[in-house]
Amino acid sequence: MNIRETLAGFGEFWNEFRKSTLGLVGLGILVLFLLFGTFGQYLTPFPGATENWRNIDFWQDNAQAAPPVWTNVPWGTQAAASAFLSDAKVEVQELDGGVKQATWSFAYPYQADQAPRDVIFAFTGTGQVPVILSVTRPDGKTVEISRQQLDLAEGELQRVSVTNSGAQSLIEFIRSSDEALASKLVADVVKPTRLLFAKIDPQMAETPVSLKGSYTFTLTALYLNETSKVEDPSVRISGAVSGLLGTDISKRDIYTGIVIGIRWALIIGLVTSLITVLIGVLLGVLAAYFGGPVDWVINRVYEYFYLMPVIPFLVVISAIFKITIWALIGLIVLFFWTGAFKPVYGMALQLKEEVFVEASRALGSSRWRIILKHIFPMVLPYSFAVMALSVPGVIVYEATVSILGLGDPNIVTWGGILQAAFGQGAVINNLWWWVVPPGLMIALMGMAFVFLGTALDKILQPKLKTR
Amino acid sequence: MYTKFVMKRVMYGLLMSIVMVLTFSTLFNTVAEQTLHSQIDEQIGQELRRYSNVNKEQLTAIAVAKRTQKEHQYHLDQPILLRILYRTFDTLTFQYGNATSIKAPNGDKDVLLIELAYLPNTLVLFTTQVVLTILIGVPMGLWAARKPNGVLDKVISSLSMVTNGLPSWWLGLIMIMAFAYGPLGIFPSGGIHINPAPEGWAGAVDYLWHLSLPLITLVLLSIWGTAYLVRNIVLGNLQEDFVMAARARGIPERMVLLGHTLRTSMPAIMTIVVLSLFASISGNIVFEIIFGWPGLGKLYWVAIQQNDIPVLMGTLAISTFINIVGFILLDLVYGWLDPRIKVGGKA
Repeated sequence: MNIRETLAGFGEFWNEFRKSTLGLVGLGILVLFLLFGTFGQYLTPFPGATENWRNIDFWQDNAQAAPPVWTNVPWGTQAAASAFLSDAKVEVQELDGGVKQATWSFAYPYQADQAPRDVIFAFTGTGQVPVILSVTRPDGKTVEISRQQLDLAEGELQRVSVTNSGAQSLIEFIRSSDEALASKLVADVVKPTRLLFAKIDPQMAETPVSLKGSYTFTLTALYLNETSKVEDPSVRISGAVSGLLGTDISKRDIYTGIVIGIRWALIIGLVTSLITVLIGVLLGVLAAYFGGPVDWVINRVYEYFYLMPVIPFLVVISAIFKITIWALIGLIVLFFWTGAFKPVYGMALQLKEEVFVEASRALGSSRWRIILKHIFPMVLPYSFAVMALSVPGVIVYEATVSILGLGDPNIVTWGGILQAAFGQGAVINNLWWWVVPPGLMIALMGMAFVFLGTALDKILQPKLKTR
Repeated sequence: MYTKFVMKRVMYGLLMSIVMVLTFSTLFNTVAEQTLHSQIDEQIGQELRRYSNVNKEQLTAIAVAKRTQKEHQYHLDQPILLRILYRTFDTLTFQYGNATSIKAPNGDKDVLLIELAYLPNTLVLFTTQVVLTILIGVPMGLWAARKPNGVLDKVISSLSMVTNGLPSWWLGLIMIMAFAYGPLGIFPSGGIHINPAPEGWAGAVDYLWHLSLPLITLVLLSIWGTAYLVRNIVLGNLQEDFVMAARARGIPERMVLLGHTLRTSMPAIMTIVVLSLFASISGNIVFEIIFGWPGLGKLYWVAIQQNDIPVLMGTLAISTFINIVGFILLDLVYGWLDPRIKVGGKA
């Protein structure tokens, strides 16, 4: 078969494939998955997430268990979304005695009804620096959140959270305009961000009315000597809603998790099905063509793996030996080749009796030549259909092992995300944005391959029969 | 003829069980023996506490003697190959030993009794699933086959593709969120009865109430695939000559469908449906965990959590037996329905 013939054959196949809507849909989804699986990391707001998925520090500025941003429906209350403010207006003033004063002001337009969970000032600094963190509200009033005398090691990261350290300052701020209200507030009980973003009135602790407009977060630092400095300041708003798919209890962005999980779902599904199908086809052809003892042995091995309860076995093995993802893939291969074996076996039995095989044998072809030249090329296309159809099962198996907490702890998979969700009470707390997307993705990935497989099956199967 | 076929299949099943249990015994030999050693240590420690008026050297001597005797009793002093064979034999004869931490509801520590306490719940959940799936799925498939490419046919084939790659336990999570918590919380979120368990009729109603959500979830997932399968088998049979002959004789379409086609399709339908559902018994470990349904799946979970190796091994053996028994039974039923199989019936 030369190249032109192969190309012509492929063109013919493509012409038929194009007619199948399901097949095209499946192919489209698969291409999307492949794109996201390859470049996905850069399409998320957190590019280093794959390496840092279980690193608590990486996620510390995120909101905890926040719903997705699109839960802000136009007709409902608007909750403040997460934001990252890094553009600042910088002013440096020379004071007396060689002391310099640097001021960074971050503008934050606030139009929501529900205040964010937290506002975090973050910067790195060196040496002795007194800093003042303050917020200027749209009503012209300024709240001084914190005033600190810092003595930092070189390049030490400093974070100041309004929720953690702003309660007392906010009560003092309210005291300046409403003494009676401030005396009722208790620092351990109030939610500082709710006070910060609310109009001052007697009910602001219970039912705050949001004060909309432009807020300015200001960081003022004094450089007492030559070595002291403050760098890379930023303000992080950890919102009441966050990201495309919300965040989980560990503050991780679920959209990011879903996207980086694509890669492993694809690897697990494709690698496993490719190897299993090759093994299944090889054994099926061998058993059918050689017959006799080879046939008997292969069929007994097939029955052995076919009758074994796969999931319990996988679960027990991964519970006892704590296996890696590659070992799990190996084990799944051990059981999954049975799916391709029987149909191929049946086909090869038929093909063995075909006239052209007999003719080839009469011409003196060796057994291996017949197998490789005549039987293999005829069953191989069909095995792609079997392969596509077996991918969903593989992905579900990995997810099943993962949700029991027995998955590989070093990778991010959808099953792993679901395990965290189930283990950390997402169901009881109704954190649906944590449970629904990973499962939908498993189903979508499965569907894409089933669509492809069904289309391939329809095209390739009848050909084999009519030839 | 049929007796011979039955004997052959049963022997075959037995042989398969032996080979599989042998595999498990070999694979998990080390960890199982570790557990056994620590269980022996614990026993000896308990027994030694009874000796109060002996000195330290005598105590050590007694401990050594006891250990030797116990290790002999559990065949731990044999070479490794024999130890594996002994373990295989014990497992095949349902002697799983004692659990390390799990107890049956009546406080028993024998692994077999623990298994027997959990097994019925699994069987109840999955037999009701099979029955309901067949009762709903088969008529649906038949109806779809009447009008290929009709609305129902399209719904069935697309939903069967969707449910194909859907983990049953994920749908379980969603159903619990939707129907156990929140405003629509009309079902219990898990477990098998409220505490304390009511007696008599109230108890039965309570059991059904707890059964319904997991059952609805499972049936909701399995009917589409079943209906699609039935549709395909029936459509295949509708092309047969005897169907055309029946139609030519003027027999109404309903009768053709129910009388001629369904009857010839039934063995194939039953086999495939029951087979696929059988596969789901052991596949639904997570499903039982999610619903807190105290069946075999839950037992796996508890055993993994508490690192109870004997229970884990016992449950794996039981799952394997159920699998093999199921497949053999199906073979027998199929052979009984379709005489061609038992004639050519080689093991």
